[in-house]
Amino acid sequence: MNNNDAIDTLREIKDLMQKSSRFQTISGISIIIIGIYASIVSFGAWLLLGNHEPYSWLPSWATDFALNTPGRTWAAILCALVLLVLSFGTVCLMSYFKTKRVNQRFVFDQTVRRSLWAFFVPAATGGLLCLAMLQQGHYGITSSFMLVFYGLALINSAHHTTSRLALLGYVELLLGIVDCFVVNQGLLFWFLGFGLWHIIFGIFFTLSNRRQS
Amino acid sequence: MPSNSPHTLPSLDGLNKAFESKARLGIMSVLMVNESADFATLKQLLALTDGNLASHTRALEELGYIQCEKRFIGRKPNTSFSVTQAGSQAFKAHLKALEQFVAHASS
Repeated sequence: MNNNDAIDTLREIKDLMQKSSRFQTISGISIIIIGIYASIVSFGAWLLLGNHEPYSWLPSWATDFALNTPGRTWAAILCALVLLVLSFGTVCLMSYFKTKRVNQRFVFDQTVRRSLWAFFVPAATGGLLCLAMLQQGHYGITSSFMLVFYGLALINSAHHTTSRLALLGYVELLLGIVDCFVVNQGLLFWFLGFGLWHIIFGIFFTLSNRRQS
Repeated sequence: MPSNSPHTLPSLDGLNKAFESKARLGIMSVLMVNESADFATLKQLLALTDGNLASHTRALEELGYIQCEKRFIGRKPNTSFSVTQAGSQAFKAHLKALEQFVAHASS
């Protein structure tokens, strides 16, 4: 055995370990796209919720997330649910096609199951918590709960996908925590976290994927 | 313990002869980072034929490096493999020897 053989062997071992334990073909473009969805929805929410306040001399985002009529609340929840399904669908579909392109075929194997499970345990917990809070009329802090639990879900699933995803999660978590302490700017933070940061991270993620391959 | 086991095959430079074949090294690599892996998964990951994979897993099983569990999922038989403690130690030793080999050769 010569030196190059040994290096090749070590590389193969590492590749196999990664390939068998991590789901690595998450589509970067889909992250940008869901960022765009979220930006559009937060703009819609801004139109829907703002401008009707008695404090119209304030910048409208300052009074926005004061969800004070039940109709508006349910409209916002409906928007959020549609966005959730659309985003999840986009990421899944585009990652499915990417996996097929890279590996020639897609297998719903342990790596996929594990990443989904690691993501959904914190995400679903947070989602239900948010619904419960809205139902009981605690509106003020919903956006930070969404950001915090989404961040935790990403950090958790990063162990089973690619570690870079943890960065996406940590920033969401940080935004969520800052949001907790800032009053009445939920929509702004929601846009920063789910819209803007997805787009920025998605671009970074896609570029670094290109560089690797 | 692998060092006392009559089945271990240490070679002169610390590389384990049992892991000389790419297939066996691959099987061990996958099992080291997964609790268990079934036959079909291994076959797909390593791009081996049924017979080839079966003979390599049997060899590793005889060495006491991996264990297999046969069960039924519905009506389909399913064989899953996991690494034993002896196998894990032997593989780590082999990796270490490989790394040392590289370090020496490049210095």
